[in-house]
Amino acid sequence: MASTAPTISLKGVTKSYGTGPLAVDNLDLVMPARSFTCLLGPSGCGKTTTLRMIAGLENLTDGTITIGDRIVDSVPDGVFVPPEKRGMGLVFQNYALWPHLTVRANVEFGLRIRKVAAAERRKVVDDALATMQIGWAADRYPSQLSGGQQQRVSLARMLAVKPEVLLLDEPLSNLDARLRLEMRAELKRLHEETGHTVVFVTHDQLEAMTMATHVAVMKDGVLQQLAAPLEVYHRPANTFVAEFVGSPPMNLIDTTTAIGAQACAYLRPAGDVATVGVRPEHVRVVTGPAPDDAFTFDATVKAVLPTGSSWTVSVLTGDTEIYLVSTEPVAARGGETLRCAVAAGSLHTFGKDGARLAGDNAMETEWAR
Amino acid sequence: MTRTLRGTEVDPPPEKPPARTGRGARLRYRLGVARREPTLFLGIGLVLVLLYLVIAPLVSIISDGFAVHFGDDFKAGQPVGALTGYYLWRVFRSPVSTELFWQPLVNTLIVAVGVTAVALVLGGFAAFLLTRTDVKGRKALANALVVPYMLPSWTFALAWLALFKNGRSGGQVGLLQAWGVNTPDWLAYGAVPIVICLGLHYFPFVLLLFGNALRRLDAQLEDSARILGASRGTVLRRITLPLMLPSLSSSTLLVFGRILGTFGTPYILGLPVDFNLLSTSLFSAVRSGQQGVTAVLATVIVMIGVAMVLFDARLVRQTRRFVTVGAKGAMERTIALGRWAGLAATGAWTLFALSVVVPVATLALTTVTITPGVFSADNFTLAFWTAEHLPGAPGFPHGVLRGTELWSAAWNSVRIVGMAALICGLAGLLIGYVVVRADRSPIAKVLRQVSFLPYLVPGIAFAAAFLSLFAVQRGPIPALYGSIALLVVTLAVTHLPYSSRSGISAMTQLGREPEEAAQMAGARWLTRIRRVVVPIQRGPLITGIVLPFVSGIKELSIVIMLTTGGTQLLTTLSINLVDYAYAQMANAVILIIAVLSFTITYLTQRLTRTSLASGLGG
Ligand SMILES: Nc1ncnc2c1ncn2[C@@H]1O[C@H](COP(=O)(O)OP(=O)(O)OP(=O)(O)O)[C@@H](O)[C@H]1O
Ligand SMILES: [Mg+2]
Repeated sequence: MASTAPTISLKGVTKSYGTGPLAVDNLDLVMPARSFTCLLGPSGCGKTTTLRMIAGLENLTDGTITIGDRIVDSVPDGVFVPPEKRGMGLVFQNYALWPHLTVRANVEFGLRIRKVAAAERRKVVDDALATMQIGWAADRYPSQLSGGQQQRVSLARMLAVKPEVLLLDEPLSNLDARLRLEMRAELKRLHEETGHTVVFVTHDQLEAMTMATHVAVMKDGVLQQLAAPLEVYHRPANTFVAEFVGSPPMNLIDTTTAIGAQACAYLRPAGDVATVGVRPEHVRVVTGPAPDDAFTFDATVKAVLPTGSSWTVSVLTGDTEIYLVSTEPVAARGGETLRCAVAAGSLHTFGKDGARLAGDNAMETEWAR
Repeated sequence: MTRTLRGTEVDPPPEKPPARTGRGARLRYRLGVARREPTLFLGIGLVLVLLYLVIAPLVSIISDGFAVHFGDDFKAGQPVGALTGYYLWRVFRSPVSTELFWQPLVNTLIVAVGVTAVALVLGGFAAFLLTRTDVKGRKALANALVVPYMLPSWTFALAWLALFKNGRSGGQVGLLQAWGVNTPDWLAYGAVPIVICLGLHYFPFVLLLFGNALRRLDAQLEDSARILGASRGTVLRRITLPLMLPSLSSSTLLVFGRILGTFGTPYILGLPVDFNLLSTSLFSAVRSGQQGVTAVLATVIVMIGVAMVLFDARLVRQTRRFVTVGAKGAMERTIALGRWAGLAATGAWTLFALSVVVPVATLALTTVTITPGVFSADNFTLAFWTAEHLPGAPGFPHGVLRGTELWSAAWNSVRIVGMAALICGLAGLLIGYVVVRADRSPIAKVLRQVSFLPYLVPGIAFAAAFLSLFAVQRGPIPALYGSIALLVVTLAVTHLPYSSRSGISAMTQLGREPEEAAQMAGARWLTRIRRVVVPIQRGPLITGIVLPFVSGIKELSIVIMLTTGGTQLLTTLSINLVDYAYAQMANAVILIIAVLSFTITYLTQRLTRTSLASGLGG
């Protein structure tokens, strides 16, 4: 389906709430047409603020926002387009359904504003409710629904007016695990089908990885990295991204520790490495002879934590604690010694400022098993 | 421990937004936003109107006290309009100052202390009984004991006269005198009856404030002290009382502040023995046309009123630092009364009888008896209600329900108070809207505070200030004295603090998202207000209209100065009848007001499922 969904670009966008540090600091962000961009970051990092600024609900302290070829916010040029004229859909973090209207009337509201005929309205509303599997609640009031049901109504309300830009603020946070999975798939299908430009806020990195075409990682109002999900995972721009994306998080080992120094010596990197990183699933327990192109070390088992499909093991080498994830059973008990190996290509290196070092050899090559 | 806690509480130092874009451009952007978003303009407009309606009258009346008025030029020895200390001298130092100011000041203090004490004892007793004991019928009691507050404050005074009046002033004597018991002047008039009557009117106020605080007080705090081995008495003295201090001081100071501005009771019970309070002294000054003296007296009352509220705010702020009010831990913890149960219940119901049943029944009785105290069939009559012609009653020669006086006063009351209440309710909601929408912007802060300002000024002083401002034409605003508009505006402004408070809390609770969601759906401002904000806030809006209406319909202190022959209200009609010494008919009008006020309150509570006494008992 051909879509006219626009590119969204933010340039030097800054937001100050008056006191405290900047909520969003000099943000440059381009979300290509028809992309599905996740704003990812810890609580309070400015994701909601960014989203609200794109929607026009929050004023900028500085910067410019362009939707397609239309400038909707520009502090330097004194331009401001109000939210109701931006033609975007937004799902609020707390749903913001209208308590005095039924579910049907909630979803219908935008269509009434657009003066859509009654018969057409009915059909669109029914479709939207059906998509969100909430048609049975059409005549209820929001207060009679659970949080997850309200969230789906909120999604239906946004979809009913067919906006070209969808802004979603943690729209799946209140669903149970199964429904969340279904809704993820549904949203992804919807995006692929209609080709909306979607901006999706979440602090759940798994959600970002599974749904997004682009991930923007933020911290304290500052953009850390904007890239495709796999890129963010395999080439984290700095230690913050490396640690934030992935679960359990990447092992970050200071090069002042014994094991860190060994790893560094093994790599013989060009730059001044302060931290070496390795994802838990890239640390392998070896029983036979060590592979050639791998960094190997011995470690003492601290605890084994089976999760059902995999085994997370916490090991100690010197004073450094390292996590590894194995898809095969680990029979070791606490106190036993394990031999661990990491493929050379799976080691990440970071400089003093935490930034990923240029020219390091940590590629996303999966280690041949 | 505290150190680390404090350390995390402190906001990081404000960072200047980067100045990449120039000031001019940023201003232009903000204007662009403001043009699309009426909130800012609405806020500025509201602030300006409110500032004018609150500050201008005060400035006007204060400056009135320092300029020679027409007719005083000879006495002051200065030309009309000159800057003068004459009125200050007259009020504070002249031979008449005792009568004008000092004696009323002393009387006011005596009455205020007395009333506060009575209200605290009665209200504290009732609050304790209702929140902390297993007294029977708590719910019914809670509802019953707030009724006195719904009656016009001077109902008690009229009932008192009907019981205790002696032959000193004109008209019929009271029941006791009629039965041959001589009531001395000190019992019939002056400080004693005023204190008792106002005490009975204001104790529900203490009950509500104090009761709510007691209920929120975390019983676990008391329990932990008990577990640590403290005796019941020690817990009361060392834990409960200190924690209750803020609400104690609040109720004390607020009751105290109310006494400053109350008019009806001291007028009815004080006048026969020349017992003046500041409020009645102010009223005489207004009625005798002494503008300068009026101004000085009103200014003093305002200053005392402001001092009270500020003192209270300071006290509360100081205490709040160590007061923990637990909402969750506050479990029902009631003391079993055991063998005291009967006595406690009797006490509480006696209080209800004394503060509601006795006064209302007495008044009702007087309206149907010709000679007080005689219970023979030929002494009962409905003439004072319905007679076509009452012989020997010049000025009001028929029953209250006949003729046009009552009906036009009632229509005026409903119309004027209704308009004021409507303005109040809508303004309250709008103020809440702006405060929430413009959250954290200076305009929200200013609006919040300005709408609270009238609260600082005792009603009667406010009325004097409005009179001073609007008695003559000022700029485009014509002289409003005697007009309905003046009454409406004054009533609206004086009741605004309550409406804006409830509007702000209702809007804060709702937050801005529902409106923003409508905005995202493409709705313009008016559509959003009409289709989303107002419908959602219908309940608070109705409450915000009804509460000022009920309080306005029994308002006397404010309107007494502003009404003229053409704008008689129910309350002023009743006072006029008192002036004529037509006790029966004055009482009849009061009963009508009481029934009206009670019915509307009751209906609203029914409709909105709220209750003044909610949560106090059961
Ligand atoms: N209205 C406001 N006034 C003042 N500060 C605010 C306001 N809204 C947000 N902030 C601050 O701005 C920062 C960013 O907030 P924001 O809501 O964008 O975070 P978030 O990334 O969405 O967090 P979460 O994942 O918890 O929703 C926070 O430090 C927050 O305290
Ligand atoms: Mg958020």
